[in-house]
Amino acid sequence: MRVPINITVNGEEYHLEVKPNRVLLDVLREDLGLTGTKKGCGLGKCGACTILLDGRPVHSCLLLAAQADRRQITTIEGIAAEGPHPLQAAFVAKGAVQCGFCTPGMINAAKALLDANPDPNEAEIKLAIAGNLCRCTGYNQIVSAIQSCTPSKSELQTAERGESNE
Amino acid sequence: MRIRPFDYWAAPGLAEALNELDLHGADAKVIAGGTDLVLNMKKKTILPRRVISLHNLNELDFVKSDDSRVRIGALTKHADLAANPFLKQHLPILCEAVGLIGSWQIRNVGTIGGNICNASPAADSAPPLLVLNAQLIVASKTVEKKIPLASFFTGPGETALETGQILKEIVIELPRQRTAGCYLKLRRRKAVDVSLAGVAFQAETGSDGKTLAKVGIALGGVAPTPVRAPEAEAVLVGLTLDEALTKVSDCAKIAVKAASPIDDVRASASYRRTIVDVFVHQCAQKVLGTLKNGGGN
Repeated sequence: MRVPINITVNGEEYHLEVKPNRVLLDVLREDLGLTGTKKGCGLGKCGACTILLDGRPVHSCLLLAAQADRRQITTIEGIAAEGPHPLQAAFVAKGAVQCGFCTPGMINAAKALLDANPDPNEAEIKLAIAGNLCRCTGYNQIVSAIQSCTPSKSELQTAERGESNE
Repeated sequence: MRIRPFDYWAAPGLAEALNELDLHGADAKVIAGGTDLVLNMKKKTILPRRVISLHNLNELDFVKSDDSRVRIGALTKHADLAANPFLKQHLPILCEAVGLIGSWQIRNVGTIGGNICNASPAADSAPPLLVLNAQLIVASKTVEKKIPLASFFTGPGETALETGQILKEIVIELPRQRTAGCYLKLRRRKAVDVSLAGVAFQAETGSDGKTLAKVGIALGGVAPTPVRAPEAEAVLVGLTLDEALTKVSDCAKIAVKAASPIDDVRASASYRRTIVDVFVHQCAQKVLGTLKNGGGN
């Protein structure tokens, strides 16, 4: 049995026929070749497969592809469509990437947070990425990368730069 | 992890879903957000032949209120409940508890109806809904029934839901007087962790604002189902807030009697009992303190 679905991935429409027992993660990676979304635990615990479904972060490993019918999906490829997203640049600048396996999921969760709340405090950032495991960095660099994309932090940085110029 | 093949049908509406469920009976399994079902299908603990998806049923995704009660559609997502302004103002204990479920990713997909029907003994939505005396509206093809949540859970993963029935909505009577509530959950990680023990405590003052007219205490993760602790509630009901504050220890000790926890990989039974004692104590102190200081909702 196959189920017809229409999904929009990174702005492009796809008409697919999927087996009901396939999850969205596998369809993205295997059928659409979007391997930026990572497969970690497959059990909704590690967050590596985090994508944005209608702008909200979800685990693509626990979502039946058939249930994504008529939904808008953003993967890391869509976030980087016009060159590196400010979050990606910040992750590089702050050393928030080591092995990189958690990074696409982290960026997606962080993007959803900043879209909903452009100036989160540290607790809100930590809560937003609580479902994303990183086994390399210890999270400090990741939190500081996300913080550096908030207006209060960028103002602070501008102010610091201003002072040093004087 | 592969999922065994199954037939799939996305219902366009509730009536159609109930028809289809009536047709296929126990062979069919209903899927809402799927955060539990898909996981169970991956682990091969649930192997449905046919899955009926409710994800298009926007008619069951709502929070509606009037003067006396609030109705919550079964397909309302945890993230939406946790952020709902009306619920945050009137029933904050529910927002607190569902805000602790899984991770942001899970709360964006998982539904309150799914959390109830999955019937985990440790379901975070259950203790607050129990102390709020929630009623469930359950529909089948032919008839609609009202079931108190207190008699809905029949065992781990088991409910009073019969073949052919779908949970439609949750109804909660709004408190008349000033209330305060508190939900405490013990877990080893700050996210994506099942509750080792959870305690919900809700108290309502009488019209004088100084006595306790109603007290609700419910425990999660420490019995085959989420349970109320009526004997512990009775210790405090009718007392003035000052009197009640002196009885908090007794209340907590008696609440432990309602627990019948098991030893498992996450915690021992005796540790869980201790936690119930400690959490009921902490919840009661906080709630009674809030009411005494004129706080609450």
